[in-house]
Amino acid sequence: MLIPRRVKHRKQHHPDRHGAAKGGTKIAFGEYGIQALEPAYVTNRQIESARIAMTRYIKRGGKVWINIYPDRPLTKKPAETRMGSGKGSPEWWIANVKPGRVMFELSGVSEPVAREAMRLAMHKLPMKCRFVQREGGDI
Amino acid sequence: MSDTTKLVAEKRSDFGKGAARKIRRAGNIPAVMYGHGTDPVHISLPGHDTMMALKQANALLTIVIDGDEQLALAKDVQRDPIKPVIDHVDLVVVRRGEKVTVDVAVHLEGDAAPETIVTLDHTSLQLEVEATNIPETLVVSVEGLEAGTQIHAGAVELPQGATLVTDAEALVVNVTAAISEAAAEAELAEAEAEAGIVREEEGEAEGTEAPTAEAPEASEEA
Repeated sequence: MLIPRRVKHRKQHHPDRHGAAKGGTKIAFGEYGIQALEPAYVTNRQIESARIAMTRYIKRGGKVWINIYPDRPLTKKPAETRMGSGKGSPEWWIANVKPGRVMFELSGVSEPVAREAMRLAMHKLPMKCRFVQREGGDI
Repeated sequence: MSDTTKLVAEKRSDFGKGAARKIRRAGNIPAVMYGHGTDPVHISLPGHDTMMALKQANALLTIVIDGDEQLALAKDVQRDPIKPVIDHVDLVVVRRGEKVTVDVAVHLEGDAAPETIVTLDHTSLQLEVEATNIPETLVVSVEGLEAGTQIHAGAVELPQGATLVTDAEALVVNVTAAISEAAAEAELAEAEAEAGIVREEEGEAEGTEAPTAEAPEASEEA
């Protein structure tokens, strides 16, 4: 699973969930992509699940790119703990995804295969997404 | 691609986000046209016609302002990341017969040898070509190519009169051997085990994630 090797601050504030993606809104490497339509925190486990679902469907053909990285830690207090006593311990690693971001890309397979592979992957992600593909006017 | 699309534009004198939003609400697209040492001209283009014209890469447009026709190429198109609308267009003035530098998409044709994966490393190549004769795509055939084959930019067949601007040594197509079935299965099984995904028996529903979450392990920088 994707996880940072070293971080500057072990416990961080929650990332801002407002606004649209500033970059990474177009397909950069492959032919097809999954674009986020809502803001969400995507955990490294969800990213890995989506990648596995896609890779299993396309079998050995094609190539998958992951354009997001879970570099923000989220903390959690243990169950049945009174408030106070400081911030909880890190529990998840998340990528802060905003609407418009192309999260996964795929190439080397036909469009119907890519559509189905990405449909399966979208079910592993916590937000509404859509299938996008490179068009004539997009260079 | 010698035929051009005619767009009737109107000059605009109000600038800023308020004026631009007003133009967009009216179904038009704010744009600017410049080049050849002329002063920039701020115009508004018809929304739907412009969007249809720009579906084609490097479309040559004829902009009609107050009855004067001017050839132009879209230099930059700002699109909304979610909605299928164009926010703004930068047009660069061109003259008939003038050579321009444009990015042309590479299109793969044919099927490579079995058990190979074809990767397109450069999805477009920069060409110097006559403005009225810009190719839509550069077709590269990968028919029957074996693993280990590489096609560089210099080997791509260009249309007559076009010159390659991209480095001739740039890798365009890379054909690699597909990973073996056993290796792919082992890699996926390992990834699933690490992510805590439990796969059910074949014929049943897809695997589900284990409810437990693993604590982050990254160390804090000193």
